[in-house]
Formats: sequence, C-alpha cells, structure tokens
Amino acid sequence: MPITAIAQNLKAPKVFPSYAPADDEVMIFEHAYRNCLPVLIKGPTGCGKTRFVEYMAARLGLALHTVSCHDDLSASDLVGRHLVNASGTYWTDGPLTRAVRHGGICYLDEVVEARKDTTVVLHALSDDRRILPIDRTGEVLEAPPEFMLVVSYNPGYQHLLKGLKPSTRQRFISLAFGFPEPAREIDIVITETGVDHTIAKHLVTLANALRSTANHDLEEAPGTRLIVDAAKLIATGCPPQTACRAAIVECLSDEPEITKALMVVVNAIFAHS
Amino acid sequence: MEEQVGIAWHKLINRLATRRYPDESVALSDISTPVGILFRALGGDHGVAIQAGGSILNHAKRSLLERLAGSERKVELAWVDHQALQLPAVIDSFPTQRLNNELYLWLAALSATSLPPQQTWLARNQNATRLIIQRFPGMAAIYRRLVAAEILRRGPTSRLPPDEAQQEQAIRDALHEPGSISVLPHARRAHQPILLWLRPDILTSASLPPQKNQDQASRESSTTQSDKKRRMAEYTEMPERKGGLLLFRPESIFSWSEYAKIEHEAQENEDEDLAQAADDLDTISITRDSRNIAKKLSMSLDLPKAASALPPLNDGKMLPEWDYKTRTLKPDQCRVNTIPLTDVEPCALPEHLKRDQQRLKRQFGALQPVRQRLKGQPDGNDIDIDAYIRHISHQNETENRFYIDHRNRERDLSCLLLADLSLSTEAWVGDNQRVIDVIRESLFLFAETLTTTLDQFALYGFSSKQRTDVRVHTLKAFDEPYSDIVRGRINGISSAYYTRMGAAIRHATEILARQKTRERLLLLLTDGKPNDADHYEGRYGIEDTRKALIEARQQGLRPFCVTVDQEAHEYLPHIFGKSNFIIIRKPSELPARLPLLYALITR
Repeated sequence: MPITAIAQNLKAPKVFPSYAPADDEVMIFEHAYRNCLPVLIKGPTGCGKTRFVEYMAARLGLALHTVSCHDDLSASDLVGRHLVNASGTYWTDGPLTRAVRHGGICYLDEVVEARKDTTVVLHALSDDRRILPIDRTGEVLEAPPEFMLVVSYNPGYQHLLKGLKPSTRQRFISLAFGFPEPAREIDIVITETGVDHTIAKHLVTLANALRSTANHDLEEAPGTRLIVDAAKLIATGCPPQTACRAAIVECLSDEPEITKALMVVVNAIFAHS
Repeated sequence: MEEQVGIAWHKLINRLATRRYPDESVALSDISTPVGILFRALGGDHGVAIQAGGSILNHAKRSLLERLAGSERKVELAWVDHQALQLPAVIDSFPTQRLNNELYLWLAALSATSLPPQQTWLARNQNATRLIIQRFPGMAAIYRRLVAAEILRRGPTSRLPPDEAQQEQAIRDALHEPGSISVLPHARRAHQPILLWLRPDILTSASLPPQKNQDQASRESSTTQSDKKRRMAEYTEMPERKGGLLLFRPESIFSWSEYAKIEHEAQENEDEDLAQAADDLDTISITRDSRNIAKKLSMSLDLPKAASALPPLNDGKMLPEWDYKTRTLKPDQCRVNTIPLTDVEPCALPEHLKRDQQRLKRQFGALQPVRQRLKGQPDGNDIDIDAYIRHISHQNETENRFYIDHRNRERDLSCLLLADLSLSTEAWVGDNQRVIDVIRESLFLFAETLTTTLDQFALYGFSSKQRTDVRVHTLKAFDEPYSDIVRGRINGISSAYYTRMGAAIRHATEILARQKTRERLLLLLTDGKPNDADHYEGRYGIEDTRKALIEARQQGLRPFCVTVDQEAHEYLPHIFGKSNFIIIRKPSELPARLPLLYALITR
C-alpha cells in the first residue's frame, strides 16, 4: 500500500495545522509510522518540531498525546498511577498508557529534560517488542499499529550531562530540524500571520542576522516562533521596531547592553518611517 | 614629486582638520558592543576582534603621512582582515553625533559583507554598498544620510582643477549610485579619502590609468599582474603581531602609489628606484612583483613563520594542532612533556587560608551527596500519612499526593582544573600579589572545596615553549588523594614561558575523558589569550583553542573558562561560547570566587 493511501484511509482531521515541509521529513515520518518505528526529532527552539508532529498527527488521522517534559517528570507521570478517593484507590492511565491503549501519537517534547528513569520506560516500547509493562497493575500492554512514539529534544541546550543515552537514541528514526530556508520561512510567516511579503522578508532577514550572532553574543538563536509572534503584533498594527523589540529582542537577552545592540540590528533592517 | 604631494597633502589635511567636530565625536569604546553585534549579525566572522585602528594606522601610515603632509593628522579608514575589524578610535568628521555614530554602524556593515576578493577596491566598496542597501532598508536610510554628509564634507567641486573635479564627480556618482562607476578618471592629484568606504588594500586595476586597463595588447602582462595580486593577497593573511609594534600592511604601498601616482608599470622592474622608494618610505619596502623583495620584507618584518613549513614531530607524546587557514587538523604538531613534580616538600595549607577553608567547608557541605526524603509526592515508596489525614479531614478530592519518595541527590561529577602557568602570570595585580599567587591560592581553596563535596578532581598546570615543549605539570591526578604532597606541589608552582592552550586542552581532554562519571567538567584558569613564541598567536591560537574545545565537547566534556584578563570579552565568546566563561574583574577575588563559581556551574 503506498504511503499516501495510508493517509487517505484514515479519517480526515477537522483542522489541518499548516506546515511547510523543509525536505523529505513527511515521507520519512510516514514510512516510520508504517513500519511501527519510533521517531526522534532534534532541532533548536522554535524551529517547528511540535508543529510538525501536530501536522503529521492530523495527516495520519491519529490522536496526539503531547507531554512537555520537565526535570521532575517521573515514569508514573507517563504511565499512570493509583489515586485515592472516598471509596478507595483507583488507577488512572498516564498519557503514554492512554496512547498505547487507544492508539495515536505520544509526543514527548524536550525528552532530555525528564528524569533519567523516565526514558527507561520507553525502551520496551521503542524496540520491536512494542510493549508497555505496567508494574503497579501487573498489566503488559501491547501497542497497536496505530500507536507511535515521537520524542524531541534540543541539542543546543548545554546542560551538564543532559543528553540522551546512546541506548535510548539508537532505538529511534531520527530527523534533524534546522531553521527553514529564507524563502520557506517567509512563506511560513505570511501563512501564519497574513503580514505582507516585505514585512515577512525583513523579519526573516532579521532572524537570520540574529542567528549568526548566536553562541557569541546570544545564548540561543531566535526560532521561527519568535518572528511569527513579532509578525502577529505587526499584523494587528504594532510598529515593526516595537514589535521586534517586544517579541524578539527582549526574549533573547536580559542584558541591557545586548538588547540595545540588538535593536541596532533591528533598525538596520527596518527603516524608521 | 614628493614635495608637491606633500604640499597637496598639507593643504588637504589642513582642510580636513578644519572640518572636524570634536564636540560631536563618538568613540569606538562607547559603541563597540552594537558595532560588534551588527558586524556579526550581518555576516561578519565571529573570530574577528573589533579594534580601534587609529594607532595601527598611525604606525602604518604615519611616516608616510608625516613625510607627505608634514602633519600628524591621521586619515582613519576602516579595515577588516582575518584578525580584526579596525575602526577609527574616534569619529568626529560629521557635524552631528548621530551621523558619526551611524558612520560606525555603516563601516561595520560594510566590513561584514563578504565579496569575492579579486574585485577591485572601487568595485568592492560599491558592490558591498549595493548589497547592504538592497538587503537592509534601515542601513539604506543611514547610508543616504551619510552620503549627503560626506559630500558636504568633501566641499564643492568647482574649486578643483578639471581633472580632479572629474574624478571627484565620479566618486560622488559612485556614492550616490553604487555600482555605476567602474573606473575612476585619472587625476594628477589623489582624491580625498572616502570615509564611507573601506581602506584600499592591494594594488588594484582601478588605480591604474584607464588606457592601460583597456589595452588589449598588454593582456600578457595583465595576467602576470593578477597572479602577483593573488600572492600579495595571501601575504596579507599572514598572522600579524598584535600591539603597537611595527605593523606594516602591503596596502600601504597602495597609499603611496595612490597619492604619489608614480608610474608603477615603468618603475616596478627597476631595483634601484625601488630601493630609493623603499628608503623614502622608512621601514616599508615592497613592490607589486619581485619575489626577492617580498622575501626580504618577510625577514625584516619578522613575520611569523608559516605553520605549514613545520615538519611533524615524531618522538614523545604528540598532539595535533588546528590550522584555521587550511581548515585541517595537522597531526603530531606539538610535543607534550608531562612533568610529574615528584621531589616536592610536603606542606600544610597556608595559615592565612585556614579561615577560608572553614567557611568553604560549611558552605559546601550542603553539596555532599545525600538521600532526600520528599513528602507529599504523587508517587513514592512510602505512604505520607500526614498528607492522607489532611486529605480525609478536608474532604479535598483534588489533593492526591500521599507518598513519600526517597531520592538521591547525587553528584556524579569529576572536574579537571587546568591552570595557566605562563610567564604573564608574573604580572602584579595588587601591592603584594602576582597573578601566579592568586592562582596558587585559588588552587588551594578549590582543592579544599572539592574535598568537601566529594567530587573527583585533578589539578594540572601548563606552560609552553614553542610546539616542541608543551609542559603539563601534574599537581594532582584523579587517583591521588589530596594530601600534603599535593599541597606541596601547589605551593611550588611557578610561571614560565607561554600559553599554548590548544595542546594543553587536548591533553587534559584525554585525561578527563577517561573518567567514568556522568558529568565531566574541564575548568580552565587563565590570564590571557593563547599564544606562544612561534606562529601560535592571534587568530591561529584562538582558532586552535576553539577547535580543541569543540573536540572536548564532542567527547562529552563540559569546558568552562575563568579568566582575569579584562579584555577577554573580545575573544572568549568565540572560543568558549557565550555562557561558558567568566571574567573576574578583581583578580584578588579569584580564590574566594572560584569555589562559588564551581558550585554555580555544577548545580
């Protein structure tokens, strides 16, 4: 069965999130889904990882269970736990268990942020066994073909020892995301916000200019999300320089000297009217 | 000839002098951050330092200018090469501060725009201008204001002789319509310097009389010429000595030829004339052709030897070195000599540090690995009765954290501290302390701290005497206890020679990478940038160090740099990355601050 047929066979989603493919990531994702393989997406903040997963879920007609990982996220936050009410204890499924039981994509955003024991739960799910053993209830859930595990992380964050273990990493089909090409990013900004082409072009030029100072003057490069936010402000009538200051510059640095200098870059691109 | 030019220059310079606005001046030091960020944002190289080029230009051109114009006035034009973006220290040429400010920004943008190097000075400035105007409307607005001010500054053309007026008009056209002028009309006298453009570099066809440029018959000679040009361009890439020593750039000869308008084609093969001209130019001797002269120049200027000329070493422990120009990691370029420091006098912690030691022990005891009992957790091995009773009594259905969880707050960390012991640490930082003393005390207190936190650690010192002798002193290896013998070694450190940082980092990386802990921190303690007594300096040393750190990160180590060099913000962001270094403003505070810093970065 060709890949497109899979998409057509599944029920069409109500709202299709807009997503402009950079390369062949849509095809790879569909192949991974077809082969019951988990997918790892890596890329900088705001480059469209989450949007891509939303898009793919809609495209494949799958429910999406998103978990934003944080450093206190434990295995039972994913799997589920016993809760207590007046009549005693009862079990509730976590998002991962829910996805395994009912099918759909379980998306773990920024998976490296989670506690170490969390990723171990994923091991039996992410190899060919595709099972989720639940210690507390004694259940062993077998994942249906409609279940898919997707994790993402940002390799740019320089945490002391926050990387994925090779044993975890090597279970995934990996997609590396970067910032979109200028032409594509301009299209994205226009599609998302409806600003005119000139504004979109200037914003993308600004983003790329700021990206080239990353690691030297900035800790992290501005993502597409930031310029989309700026474009939204501009679209509703905010002056471009002000929008860039509020939506981009102040989000990138807290040092007054740096933000002032970044505004010089903004003013180099947006002429004062 | 010289006198004529001198008079012309004198007039010119005097005219210029009257057109400065010291009250509206802008200093580079005040806006170096925005200039630097703009430069990098518009595509400038991260490794290029932003410098005031005034003094450098002065050195390069002063004799010339003084000779020609009899004046100390400098013409400060911007210039960028592999090492630095040189901008005027102060700009006061325009009547408002805003314009002077904008000239800095404009020059930074112009320098950041990369174009094929074969283009002529005239074409390159115009093309770069056009590119910027197209891509950055804000810069275009700035440019229009600057052109108007620059043309006002240049004065009316009506007072000029016809040939100069024609040339001046062409310059104005080029400013107004960048890209419109391909050849400057020849004039007997040189035109005024164009403040909006980068300094002319190599001899370009734009300065040749047009008839020769278009002469089809001389095609043969023009091919050899372009070949020579390339050679000179390569030559300018040679690492230069920093500081106020003789700083010669081959482009200076352009100034000479440009302003003196000597017929180069006729002169360049006449060695006598060259020698004459060279004498006239004081220390400067160069010509567009003639390999011999170029060789002589390289000796008299004591330019560093090309790195490629060095054969690999083949005995002892060898480490590679990164050559940023060829972008290759050259194997076996440095020999590391590990110096174990066996015969030292064991000693106790110096008395004056005992109080600090006690304080640190108290402060850092909290970082010891302990098992924590966390109440009110959604999960855990024990039941939190208190939380359950609270829940029952309040009939609060939503509250469901009834467990007690035990968690190990573990610190699985090893740290290798690498201290710079080069001769520069002999510098005094107060009335009674040298940098080396500060480093010694820092090492003591750092070791005390890490003994308290139970983290594994090693201490090494390094210095170098060219690539054949990179010395690494083992103060404390990972498997050694922190004992009086180690204290004796710390007590005995002394400074020597230079700082070949890349090799020392590579060596330390090898040691640290063998540690099995989850977190591995490579801490570098230094007082300056990488340098050694050979080609290892300037951009070369910086890029090699950067490369060594990238390799360390690839091995899962985390490098961090603590420096007392107040100028370090110029190069450390490039080497270590924005958030992986700290500059200690008062070196004497280093011993007390280092342990706190350690706590912060390993939190």
